[in-house]
Amino acid sequence: METVINIFIIALGLYFGLGLLFGLYFLFAGATTIDPLMKESKKVVRLLLLPGTIATWPFLIGKLFQSKKV
Amino acid sequence: MGLDYKLVLWNKHKKNYDKLIALGMVLYLIVFFVLSLVTNAEMTAETIIIRAFGSLAIILLHLILVIGPLTRLNPNYLPILYNRRHLGVSMFLAALIHGVFSTINFHTLGSKNPIESIFTSNMDYGSLTNFPFQVLGFLALLILFVMASTSHDFFLKNLSPKIWKRLHMLVYLAYSLIVLHVFLGAFQQETSPFAIGVLCLGFVLITGLHLTAAFKEGKIDSFKASKDSDGWLEVCTTGEIEESRAKIFTVEGERIAVFKNEGKLSAIHNVCKHQGGPLGEGKIVDGCITCPWHGYQYLPHNGQSPPPFTEKVKTYQLKVVNGFVYVNPNAYEEGTEVTPISC
Repeated sequence: METVINIFIIALGLYFGLGLLFGLYFLFAGATTIDPLMKESKKVVRLLLLPGTIATWPFLIGKLFQSKKV
Repeated sequence: MGLDYKLVLWNKHKKNYDKLIALGMVLYLIVFFVLSLVTNAEMTAETIIIRAFGSLAIILLHLILVIGPLTRLNPNYLPILYNRRHLGVSMFLAALIHGVFSTINFHTLGSKNPIESIFTSNMDYGSLTNFPFQVLGFLALLILFVMASTSHDFFLKNLSPKIWKRLHMLVYLAYSLIVLHVFLGAFQQETSPFAIGVLCLGFVLITGLHLTAAFKEGKIDSFKASKDSDGWLEVCTTGEIEESRAKIFTVEGERIAVFKNEGKLSAIHNVCKHQGGPLGEGKIVDGCITCPWHGYQYLPHNGQSPPPFTEKVKTYQLKVVNGFVYVNPNAYEEGTEVTPISC
């Protein structure tokens, strides 16, 4: 049981760590390529969106790759 | 709707709602603190904070969960729905304070990582009476974090309304985890019949309202329209639709709203592009169909949001024969212009 718990906690840490790295890139550089409304959005708004980007980065990274292919 | 993203979409009404929420939360906390000190002077400040914010989060969660079915049963509750997002974020903040204080109080004194300690300080996972209930609270808090942090139009647009809605339906999983967290926690600590009774009552209320609302929705979906020789469906008489309002019908598995605007009828798909709100439960304001949930607008004759906005919904062709309204079940593409017909 402890092994399962350890794996879960490491996976959770990795998920949020990768999410933070992606989030910083996405909100200050990548997001404008998929959402024109981000171009005019203020820095404080981008910071507000950081936690949500960390939480949902697998969905957003998929959308970012799709837009770059197009 | 806007040309850039704002920190918070406030207007006069939303500010008033938010003030009311904040005032209610502060009042609750004050009453809880005073009552706790009066009834049990030995209780520590940390314990009072943990219990005050935990119970506040549960009360707010109950409010959030009853708003949806209440608006389905009575449109007078729609103004509360309009501000549900802010209520959700407030509930998460209360739950977060409860979680952080609990973790500091119970899991930071040892050498273990506090998160690891939540999962491993009590390994009695097979027991009902000694189950590590804090794990359930932690998992519920994770779900509430995902929901609160994505409560912004940016995520609704970029995750897609479908994925966003699915993520936010996890509130029911969070609610189940919280109910278990409280019940299993109460088994291990001082059992308060009052608290357990209130929680049971809340569960019955939430379940009852959801079932009643589902029954009402089922009635709309079970509507069977008769077809004429051209395959058009007879849905109602012209007099049954009020001016500036709509009636909703389920046609070929899709809900459509037939609106009356200045004596002329138009039909559009009932689902708002923003958060899937029921357009047919809204009304026409300044010539635009206005979603009752968050005020997104569409023009009745083409299902398009007025410029510069770009949302579009499907439109339908109508005809009136001897005072009866008929709908062509084959929808037009989103945003297609259809000339409104006179009653």
